[in-house]
Amino acid sequence: MSKIEHDRSHHAEKATGIGDPQCFHGEAGPAKFKVGDRVRIKNLPDLFYTRCQVYTRGAIGMVTEAVYESPAAEDEAWDNTESPEWFYSVVFRQQELWPDYPDLYANDTVETEFSERWLEAV
Amino acid sequence: MSDEHQHPPAPMVDEVSDFEVLEAAVRELAIEKGLFSAEDHRRWTEYVHTLGPLPAARLVAKAWLDPAYKELAVRDGVKASLDVGVDWINSPPTGFGTPSDYCNLRVLADTPTVKHVVVCTLCSCYPRPILGQSPEWYRTPNYRRRLVRWPRQVLAEFGLQLDPAIEIRVADSNQKTRYIVLPVRPEGTEGWSEEQLAEIVTRDCLIGVAVPKPGVTANTKRPVRPAVHPVDHHH
Repeated sequence: MSKIEHDRSHHAEKATGIGDPQCFHGEAGPAKFKVGDRVRIKNLPDLFYTRCQVYTRGAIGMVTEAVYESPAAEDEAWDNTESPEWFYSVVFRQQELWPDYPDLYANDTVETEFSERWLEAV
Repeated sequence: MSDEHQHPPAPMVDEVSDFEVLEAAVRELAIEKGLFSAEDHRRWTEYVHTLGPLPAARLVAKAWLDPAYKELAVRDGVKASLDVGVDWINSPPTGFGTPSDYCNLRVLADTPTVKHVVVCTLCSCYPRPILGQSPEWYRTPNYRRRLVRWPRQVLAEFGLQLDPAIEIRVADSNQKTRYIVLPVRPEGTEGWSEEQLAEIVTRDCLIGVAVPKPGVTANTKRPVRPAVHPVDHHH
């Protein structure tokens, strides 16, 4: 009876002494977005696993940094590390996320990260 | 014996949560399967309990004293951590971080007009290599849900009330970046040494729910208020 053995140590071998996400450096190709770009968070299906917060879906923010390359959490959760993506730090005005956020505190913001698949140019 | 007021006896130990049961089950399965040994697990557990927020406090104190170091800390937090004895990449047990200790530290520098505060709304990601284990309140759904939605109210509960002109920037640690806050150096610390400055940079200051003050070297107790609709466990 044949048995498919899953290689559990491939990530450890790749990342030891280099770090994660550093070990995926250079694997995602050119970054699609740059600092200052306005982006909208897509509302993609998120069956089983995601790290894209529901409160950001559909909101428009600004890219503050292309932070690193890594498999998206939605892939990595299943040990699929074949296609790393660029990750971006995106800042939102609180009033964009929560419509009743008080005008008095209109300066307040939230910053958080997304893999490229979640972003679309505005 | 009367049936009136027959309450069940108080438990001898605190209730074990579903997540603790799950952790034990997964751990025992992993040991049984040979992924790691019980000895590995003991060593790792003991190692993480040696960690604390002192290296991060020193990082902040050094950054206050040395503008070039501050620039490095903001640009490359992992590299700047080496100067305070924290090696994110080659630390035990794995040598590449763990699934919750990825090697990407970002140091969020406050200014007189921007105040940062850190949360993980999805779970409780925390920069453990440089801050140690997170405080219990940081992991509660209460803090995680409310900080991102009502940051000023939550900060006020910690005793921090900020001018409306100051931008509060919540950093939601949802992917592989871990954050610490580099607060503004307070007045009244002129001429202080690195050791003196590090003493007032408490864990709460590094999460962003407090600001450093001369003479304050401990985290304040967060007030616990009775629930509006308390849950009765004896139904």
